[in-house]
Amino acid sequence: MKNTFSLALLHLSFCFTFFALTHISAMELHGHGANLIETTCQRTPFYNLCVSTLRSDPRSSGADVAGLARIGADKLKAKATATLRQITALLKVTKDPKLTTALRQCVDYYNAIVKYDIPEAVEAVVKGDPKFGVEGATDAANEADACGREFKNQPKFPIYGSNKAVHDLSAVVASIVQLLL
Amino acid sequence: MVDTRPFLPVSSSDGSNPSEPLANGRKPMKALLSIFFGLLAVGLLAALLTSNNGSDFVTENEHDPLASSTTTTKSEPLRPLSRGPAAGVSEKSNRLFADENTVAFPWNNSMLSWQRTAFHFQPERNWMNDPNGPLFYKGWYHFFYQYNPHAPVWGDIVWGHAVSKDLIHWLHLPLAMVADHTYDKSGVWTGSATFLPDGKIVMLYTGSNAQAVQVQNLAYPADHSDPLLINWIKYSGNPVLVPPPGILSKDFRDPTTAWLTSEGKWRFAIGSKVNKTGVALVYDTKDFINYEKLDGFLRAVDGTGMWECVDFFPVSKTGENGLDTSVNTPDVKHVMKVSLDDDRHDYYTVGTYHEKNVTFVPDDLTIDVGIGLRYDYGVYYAAKTFYDQNKNRRVLWGWIGESDSEAADLQKGWASVQSIPRTVLLDKKTGTHLLQWPVQEIDSLRLNSYEFNHVSIQAGSVVPLEVGPATQLDIIAEFKIEKEALEKATGSNVTFSCSSSGGAKERGALGPFGLLVLADDSLSEQTPVYFYIAKGSDGNLKTFFCNDQSRSSVASDVNKQIYGSMVPVLKGENLSLRVLVDHSIIESFAHGGRTVITSRVYPTRAIYGAAKLFLFNNATEAGVSASLKIWQMNSAFIRPYPNLDNKSR
Repeated sequence: MKNTFSLALLHLSFCFTFFALTHISAMELHGHGANLIETTCQRTPFYNLCVSTLRSDPRSSGADVAGLARIGADKLKAKATATLRQITALLKVTKDPKLTTALRQCVDYYNAIVKYDIPEAVEAVVKGDPKFGVEGATDAANEADACGREFKNQPKFPIYGSNKAVHDLSAVVASIVQLLL
Repeated sequence: MVDTRPFLPVSSSDGSNPSEPLANGRKPMKALLSIFFGLLAVGLLAALLTSNNGSDFVTENEHDPLASSTTTTKSEPLRPLSRGPAAGVSEKSNRLFADENTVAFPWNNSMLSWQRTAFHFQPERNWMNDPNGPLFYKGWYHFFYQYNPHAPVWGDIVWGHAVSKDLIHWLHLPLAMVADHTYDKSGVWTGSATFLPDGKIVMLYTGSNAQAVQVQNLAYPADHSDPLLINWIKYSGNPVLVPPPGILSKDFRDPTTAWLTSEGKWRFAIGSKVNKTGVALVYDTKDFINYEKLDGFLRAVDGTGMWECVDFFPVSKTGENGLDTSVNTPDVKHVMKVSLDDDRHDYYTVGTYHEKNVTFVPDDLTIDVGIGLRYDYGVYYAAKTFYDQNKNRRVLWGWIGESDSEAADLQKGWASVQSIPRTVLLDKKTGTHLLQWPVQEIDSLRLNSYEFNHVSIQAGSVVPLEVGPATQLDIIAEFKIEKEALEKATGSNVTFSCSSSGGAKERGALGPFGLLVLADDSLSEQTPVYFYIAKGSDGNLKTFFCNDQSRSSVASDVNKQIYGSMVPVLKGENLSLRVLVDHSIIESFAHGGRTVITSRVYPTRAIYGAAKLFLFNNATEAGVSASLKIWQMNSAFIRPYPNLDNKSR
């Protein structure tokens, strides 16, 4: 009696294991929810940023890769727009002429990001010509990079954090869109 | 990509204790089982919650030339220049890009406006990409193109339109088609023209519809008696084709020109992909309204990804003329060409078309569709041919994008040009290559000429060529290398490729040698267009043809790659070269167009009157002699068609 009971318990635990394992593999095969975010973000240069950005949007749990790209681009647009506002606000109060010059350059770069690069990336993803999306997002990263270089010989870089976020997120979006090719 | 997460929970569990404490006095067997069961539950829970190993690894965007610096926080890194042996080119060039981290180049209007071409097709401003529906009709060559009327980046795509009597002097016309119907609301994309037996034109094109599904639409001239074909009508029953089962809604675009089958039906191809296999779907139609999808694919090749801008046409095995797209006689071969989305290059393959079972079989499977020869080893994409019934030739158009920064494009207000139209013929001597050559009408732009005969260029030297202004040139050159040097040179097993070499400053026994284009006097900026002969350990010679952009500009925010490929050189052939220099574009043709390279360069100093031309020989063991004829090239004065009622853009 004792042995049968132990055997049954063993059998039950193996069944449970199998159930759980097939559940896991089903999740992997259909790439649903959190799993797709992780596997997608693994293919970007900034995994943690990618995961936290995508997860912060409720749309991400049911999204396919194109949907994740779209979410990334939307988040990028918000961040770039906010950074542009930050720059113009700083320009109003800055007295240092070198800083002013650098900030003015960055206004140009960020205008390009917000008016051209991100809309190009979004249109390309939505309409299914992803190579132009990679181009738009890469251009955004390059513009942010160029803005950062304006501060190379400056003692202060007031927008460092925002600018880096825009650069890194652009690189993330470019990598995600690349997966759609 | 394979998910490497292990199925079974390993010791990555956080090592928490079993949920049920061991109670004293229980029978050990049951206790053990409950521990086992508990561990299992904990382990499974850990497996469900464990996230992937969050290593920030770098994505290789090696196929996208624009993304080379995406994964680093630096700008596009400059290749560090090694100080080669003090002779020839390397001695003369100054290393001016010492500081890789300088601010993005301060382009001024003078530099930027110099970049506009004088005789290559480009709209007055904004963005252009694929050539569309090229044709000849009632005395005019027509060119349509993907155009963004609002910005110098891709987007809001509509059809631009221009006409010319000679494929060189273009006049801009109003937009031919805009995004004004649900079936192309999101974009009027690429398409091709077919001539019906009665001489009427039908245009099949891709529309991105209001739901961003890619569909095929029919359009035709509103007035066939208008030689300018200004107005176009879209068929009221559009779309005529939607993505078939098994094809995704965003993988269905760029229909080809149709060809007649022996049953009298029209047949055409449209590229797509199934997972990562590039494919060409085939349809038959009698009226361009109702279609029958044929089973299978014209061709499919694993791993090539999405096939854009498929082109399919016959070439004569014996004749020197082009062939109408419908020709399918025993003395022809067929060419299948695709634009690979994955790497932004155009590939072609020569083979045989079997009409009965609707297949294309390459002559050489190692250079199958998408993995073989390229039309052009530089910047060149979305190419499309048409049969020019006016002069019985097949003419090729190709889109040439920018290689500078997008910021510069925004500043100068435009992006992209088209190549000079090229005739396409099968190379009878090799049988494997196509020959591309600028259309003969370009000769009409030639002004005064300069001739140089048997100029000797010793190993490690540079020879200036006095030709006056050097930004608009047509150069035809022939090079001879010392026979004894070829025989004497020691061979090696080392494989050479233009792109992985050190460019024109990397000296070999038998190369590099050629021209320095758009170079300033001090050679601080220069674009070498050259040959490099490599000798194998078996004594066989291989000739490479390259364009070296690494020192084309002191600006750091431009492409600095080295382009090129091997060019077959047959016994008795001298090394021959043609180069068209037109401001920021260089088109170079080796051996009658057997291997072609197009480059976009953006010098800051070697512009206007400061741009010069040189011969160079950076080989260590061979002298070279060159004979050249060089013409100054006139502008093509590309401008809006005069006195049209409709407004231009």
